[in-house]
Amino acid sequence: MAKKLIELKDITKMYDGTAVVDHINLYINENEFITLLGPSGCGKTTTLRMIGGFEKPDSGEVVMNGAVVNDIPPYERPINTVFQRYALFPHLNVYDNIAFGLRNQKVPKAEIAERVENALKMVSLPNFALRKVANLSGGQMQRVAIARAIVNKPKILLLDEPLAALDLKLRQNMQYELKEMQRKLGITFVYVTHDQEEALTMSDTIVVMKDGVIQQIGTPTGIYNEPKNRFVARFIGESNILDGVYVRQNLVSFMGAEFDCVDTQFADGEPVDVVIRPEDLDIIDAVGAKLIGEVSSSIFRGVHFELCVMVQGKEFVIHTYENRKVGEHVGLRVDSYEIHLMKVEHVEH
Amino acid sequence: MNIKKLGKLALPYLVWMLVLVGIPLLMIFILSFMNTDGVSFAGATWTTAAWEKMFTLADTTNLQILGYTFLTAFVATVICFLIGYPMAYIVARSPFSNKFVILILTIIPMWSNSLLRNVALKNILSESNILDSLLSRIGLSFSIVFANQDQATFISIVIGLVLTFLPFMILPIYTVIEKIDESLLEASMDLGANRVRTFAKVTFPLSMKGVTTGIIMVFLPCFSGFAIQKLLSSGTVYVLGSLIEVNYIHDINFVSMLSIVILVLIFGSMMIVNKVDKEGATLV
Amino acid sequence: MGVRKKEPGRITRYLRRPEVEKVLQSIANVLKYAFFAFFMFLMYLPIIVIAIQSFNESTGLIYQFTGFTFDHWKNVLTFNLDSSLMKAISTTLLVALLATGISTVLGTIIAIGIHSLPQKKRQGMVFLNQVPILNADIITGISLMFVFKIVAEVIPGVFGIPSLLIAHVFFCIPYVVLSVLPKLAELDDNLYDAALDLYCKPAVGITKVIIPAIMPGILTGMLIAFTMSIDDFLISFFNAGQVNNLSIYIYGGYNRRLAPEVYAYNTILSTVIIVALIAMYVSSSLKKRKNLKREPRHA
Repeated sequence: MAKKLIELKDITKMYDGTAVVDHINLYINENEFITLLGPSGCGKTTTLRMIGGFEKPDSGEVVMNGAVVNDIPPYERPINTVFQRYALFPHLNVYDNIAFGLRNQKVPKAEIAERVENALKMVSLPNFALRKVANLSGGQMQRVAIARAIVNKPKILLLDEPLAALDLKLRQNMQYELKEMQRKLGITFVYVTHDQEEALTMSDTIVVMKDGVIQQIGTPTGIYNEPKNRFVARFIGESNILDGVYVRQNLVSFMGAEFDCVDTQFADGEPVDVVIRPEDLDIIDAVGAKLIGEVSSSIFRGVHFELCVMVQGKEFVIHTYENRKVGEHVGLRVDSYEIHLMKVEHVEH
Repeated sequence: MNIKKLGKLALPYLVWMLVLVGIPLLMIFILSFMNTDGVSFAGATWTTAAWEKMFTLADTTNLQILGYTFLTAFVATVICFLIGYPMAYIVARSPFSNKFVILILTIIPMWSNSLLRNVALKNILSESNILDSLLSRIGLSFSIVFANQDQATFISIVIGLVLTFLPFMILPIYTVIEKIDESLLEASMDLGANRVRTFAKVTFPLSMKGVTTGIIMVFLPCFSGFAIQKLLSSGTVYVLGSLIEVNYIHDINFVSMLSIVILVLIFGSMMIVNKVDKEGATLV
Repeated sequence: MGVRKKEPGRITRYLRRPEVEKVLQSIANVLKYAFFAFFMFLMYLPIIVIAIQSFNESTGLIYQFTGFTFDHWKNVLTFNLDSSLMKAISTTLLVALLATGISTVLGTIIAIGIHSLPQKKRQGMVFLNQVPILNADIITGISLMFVFKIVAEVIPGVFGIPSLLIAHVFFCIPYVVLSVLPKLAELDDNLYDAALDLYCKPAVGITKVIIPAIMPGILTGMLIAFTMSIDDFLISFFNAGQVNNLSIYIYGGYNRRLAPEVYAYNTILSTVIIVALIAMYVSSSLKKRKNLKREPRHA
């Protein structure tokens, strides 16, 4: 049984009269890798800062181990943070940066030396103790920032877009390393990012946010395969979203044709949003196909081709291994279990 | 820093500034229209006597002093600009390793007492001077000869002002030129402008911020000071500041009026600086 | 459509030949540095004369060099000065040191406060802060004199060292604020939060993290404040009461012979400052070089 470590109860935070975080409810389990995902300005960083104690919620409660901690300042919380752009202390060297928190907690000198050394090993910078922070590369600063936080053995580690400033290759390596680190240390990670790929790769749980409101909470596969609404479907990966009608159980109609489907939680005749991922569409002969269109563009993407096919004035994006010529007439096919239906949202932003 | 609480630290400063800047300015304005005994208002009445003392055609002595003050300050500022801009440009565009040394060289004179430097300058500009006295030992001589006393006084004052305030022209201009992105110059050349055109169309307009600050930082002290003028003219010349110096104990109303004349200039300059340099980046 | 280029004339063509261009370039360089050196020399000429005077044995004639002596230097270094000069120098140094210390501390605190204000208020305070810098010294001097005259009604002893010190603190603070503000702006926004995150209480966070990180700006401000205070004449003139600082002393003696020790004192002081700065520069660049050697930059 997972134990709830932190709970956010009906939290709201206002800036200049607008709600940046709007009545959110969320709990975080012990040992969980949870990611707050959303576009910039969605309130994810503010949420993180409220967990860290840098901001106070205007209403609602932050509960930690059963106690309300709204008024506990950051320096009294068993939480450490890896800040965006690292916030390393420029006047201290690597060792003193990492030892900073331990010294403030009056840890004995010998123990500090040992823990700092271990932390440096953990982030694979064993011989960097005496380096000046200004002379480090972005990736190295990142590692120092992580070491500076984990050396304090926090219960929870907050990470605010920690990889945003790194280049692609390094970012991918670090994703893997962070995940490994979390497993080894057994610390709860609360991770903020706007990069959906990063979220999908690393997280146990993803919280998708928009305009201060939680859109969906779920596992990476759950959120990818069964997005709750258009926003989530668009934000997590590419998708084709179509207007459709739930005809009856296991039957949906869109683009003037009827398709088998597996979703069941709708009323007969209810309008629905239909989501089909680009890799779930297959190209077949035009003859006899339910969806027929003309290839309008084709781009080589390395592993696959990205085709755009115009069907009745609607553009479909398809990922396929075999190329088709622009102008060619093709048919499209989709398996019933790859058609995902969502409730129609009346307010479309 | 994200905590707004720290903003409170600036509040006492606001009060301090209001007391030491706001109240006196108000007093200066009021006192210039009164006849008071010092700062005591007892028995004082409203009058424009102080203003009439300056702006009257019956006795133009004070107006002539104002004119002479303006002329010396103006000429000194123009010369400072003509010398200071190229010097700033040369430092800013010199190879990096020299820059700090050259910059320090520009600042070093400021650590000698500026009045003492002008005493020394007076010495050099005198017909028999210490350099001449030294050089005569090896059979050389050094002496600057002026056509007449008035010319000698005017030129001496201008040289004194220029040499004293030149660093205040060089430093702000240097600061802005140094910050101009080299790639802008390359872009300009790439787009077909030659060196001269690049300077005229890119570097110079971008350095206007520093030029403005420099001109103000030179003109204001040249216009409002009196010590350098007195030292170099051996007390024969009166400038606006001298009028303040002579009257500050006995005629505070006249002094207030003179202050307003200077303040008008200052307010104008502050408006200009506030427009071109919001964060005061060229002032230090 | 092509841009029609004018065919360069013979002279232009000649001037554009690489070997000619090279010569022209070096002539321009020489002229450039000659220009610079000439005016630099002019700025230094009075200082050279001051240095010469500090060794001048002459006691009677002002502008004659009658012989070389170390006496003036010796007198300064053994504090064997006539009492008015001694007082002027000690007043100047006392006020400069106190004013520098006080304005550095206050200016740093004020700068942190201003930096934390919302943008509109911050710009207003930055503008207000510039007032004493842009204001003519004479106006600042008179303004403060008015305030002290009112204060003197209540506290009669205010004119003298107290008024002088307050006046100097007043015009030094803005320089410290202006030097510290840009350093604060360069800081990572999260630096202070990071300190709190790592178990610093708010006040400790400022002294342990913010202050060290903006130290270069504080030192610059301190140096400027000291420079301004030690050289001030106009503001001191109106606010010194019966006390003299060195500038007032020199000004008062414009028509008579100054005690020759003034020249020695001035030369000693500027030499000390210059040597100290050069030492700082050399040690910091040595350190930098050492660091570069030890820690090659990693990509």
